[in-house]
Amino acid sequence: MKTLKIEVIGPDPPCARCMAVKRIAEEAAGRLESAGVKVEVVKANILSREILTKYGTLVSPAMAIDGVVRIMGRIPTEAEVEELARTAVEERSRD
Amino acid sequence: MSLGFKRKLRTAALLLFVFAVVGLLIYSRIVAYSLAPTLKPADFSGLAWYEIPFYYLWDYVSHGWICLLFAFTAAGLVYEFMPKDLIMRYMGSNRITGYLIASGLAPLLTVCSCTMVPFFAGILYTGAGIGPAITFLLMAPAANVLTILLTGEFLSWDIAAVRVVASLTTALAAGVIVSKTSWGKSVENERHVDAVAGQRGTVELAKPPLDERLIAALKFGVYLATQILPYFIAGLIIVGYVTAYMPESIVEGYLTGWAGVLIASIIGGPLYTPTLVEVVVGRSLLQLGMSRAALLSWLMGQPYDIANMTAVSKITGWKVVVTYALTAWSCSVILSLLYGVLTGSL
Repeated sequence: MKTLKIEVIGPDPPCARCMAVKRIAEEAAGRLESAGVKVEVVKANILSREILTKYGTLVSPAMAIDGVVRIMGRIPTEAEVEELARTAVEERSRD
Repeated sequence: MSLGFKRKLRTAALLLFVFAVVGLLIYSRIVAYSLAPTLKPADFSGLAWYEIPFYYLWDYVSHGWICLLFAFTAAGLVYEFMPKDLIMRYMGSNRITGYLIASGLAPLLTVCSCTMVPFFAGILYTGAGIGPAITFLLMAPAANVLTILLTGEFLSWDIAAVRVVASLTTALAAGVIVSKTSWGKSVENERHVDAVAGQRGTVELAKPPLDERLIAALKFGVYLATQILPYFIAGLIIVGYVTAYMPESIVEGYLTGWAGVLIASIIGGPLYTPTLVEVVVGRSLLQLGMSRAALLSWLMGQPYDIANMTAVSKITGWKVVVTYALTAWSCSVILSLLYGVLTGSL
């Protein structure tokens, strides 16, 4: 099974709120892994050409799961990230 | 208790809190309770040097807490409930819409510098280009929820209104001028990328239930308070001393008339005053005899302080920065003089 990619999108160096989102994503990832889903959490630079071309995100912190921006400009709860990640896995298996 | 019921209960409690905060502000208006501090510079002359900060802080906190509580709650709510994906989609559609959003909607969102630079770059790179980006940059410090509220309550609502209109004029002028220069155009061509913002399913924001959104909004309000209040309080202590010891003759001599506007704009511009402190300093100088026209040019000096200019010059190069800073500076002087002449408050 392919790894699920969670991108935390924010400025570099990361702002305090982006760090908080990254920590939450990592905690959620830990729980998902123990449930058998492989997750990779990366920090992406909101000002990089690549991220801008791909998502066009304007407000940080943002989070993209499997290439879709699901969170923008707020800090989600760990449960929410887990839920969103599970939905992404289910959608993928349906395709 | 079922999960659904708990959720409803929590939503109700949170909404009650929000309504209570709004109600407090309205109630304070009805009974005409002063939300701004009431001590005059003369009241300080009898105090010992170590007593001044306590009296000054207490004067602000005892009157201003309703206003501050409301301001931070409102800022959190606006930021949370603003449809950010819609703004993103329309930002790139065309130039006029770009200017409209950059001057009207986006500033409401940017209550701290942490959100400002990505937004600026986002507008520049993916959206409407350099003009609207500069407009946004100059508009944001003057037209966000926090500054409008505090300028209105602590200074006066007509100054707050004039400040917004004057900043809007300045921001639009600077945006249009920069976008016409050759260096502005070259930055735009070099930086522009074809973004797919909001298309092809790359952005599908999740909508959590209302209670979680309210909690997130209030948490952001608290976060803003922790970011801004320490500077605000430190600023107040310094301002307390200035108010107590600055001779009125100096302020009246230098910060009134035509020269006063010029001097206020020169010290108000490059000098880095953290968010909201400019309101407190302005209030104290006004009490000491600064003219209202000079106050306006002092307040309008916000967007082109040194810290801001350095951050922006890394993205756009110094030519763009010099162009917008000069435009903004001349606009602030001209508009303040105009205001002074029209209202007889030079």
